[in-house]
Amino acid sequence: MAHARDNQAPPPRIVAVSPDDGSAIDLRNPALAAILSWAVPGLGQIYQGRGFKGRLFMGAILGTFAAGMWLGGGRVVYASWKPGDTRWAFVCQAGAGLVALPAVVQSLQLQGVSKQPLFGSMFMAPPLVAGQYVSRGYAERLAASDPDIDAEDFFDRPPLKQFRGEQVSHWHRRLGRWFDIGTLYTMLAGMLNLLVIYDAWAGPLGTPTDEDRKARSKRT
Amino acid sequence: MFSVLTASLVCPILLASLADRVPGIFFGLPLVALASLVFAATHHEDPAEIRFATVHWAVWLGGILGLVLAAVLLLGWFA
Repeated sequence: MAHARDNQAPPPRIVAVSPDDGSAIDLRNPALAAILSWAVPGLGQIYQGRGFKGRLFMGAILGTFAAGMWLGGGRVVYASWKPGDTRWAFVCQAGAGLVALPAVVQSLQLQGVSKQPLFGSMFMAPPLVAGQYVSRGYAERLAASDPDIDAEDFFDRPPLKQFRGEQVSHWHRRLGRWFDIGTLYTMLAGMLNLLVIYDAWAGPLGTPTDEDRKARSKRT
Repeated sequence: MFSVLTASLVCPILLASLADRVPGIFFGLPLVALASLVFAATHHEDPAEIRFATVHWAVWLGGILGLVLAAVLLLGWFA
């Protein structure tokens, strides 16, 4: 038995070739690396031992996502599939990974039986649309903390409350162009992360041409 | 390279602090820098090569977007 194990060949390593010096890059488990890079941008590269690129991607993608959230007043990332307020931007934002996941949780929570987001927090919660039912607690919290909403914006429908208005209109009126700029930043962060995921899956994109090699040798 | 990264993160914050005085188009510049950086880093492994390719991509992206902007401005001017 031991003899058979000794003769067993090691599993083949999946490698990519560096376009810069032709050295081999050990991709380890590419599928796992790709999933890690989706979950946390750059984490797949770090898992593969490409720490510099991993940290670079992490800073760039997460930094841009955070900048977009900040510019958009924390309102630009939410998941909503309600008629009249389908948030297609979230398809791109979801590419940034786990940082966008709370939006899905909040959306499901508001549609669920509790009719309120997780812990009653408005973080990444989708905007209320006309006629939407929410819990009384969430309605009171919104009326107390949201500058655009007061208690009269809800119909009393025991045991729930029904919103009358469009919360996203309030956001647009208050944030103006910052809503669009923040949305653009977070969308681009998610879309660029697709390149990062591919890099973790298959290694560097493209192969150097002869012109590239000549230009490189000239520089060095 | 980290100066590009830092600039791409700091620029929006600086621009936001100036609020409405800054035309919205300038908020695209950090995104051009960021896209160039990610494009470059997904095509190379060596930090020096990534730096060189970032500038290369930024020039191309900025140039193409600048041309489109110029065309739109001209169209708006003549319309």
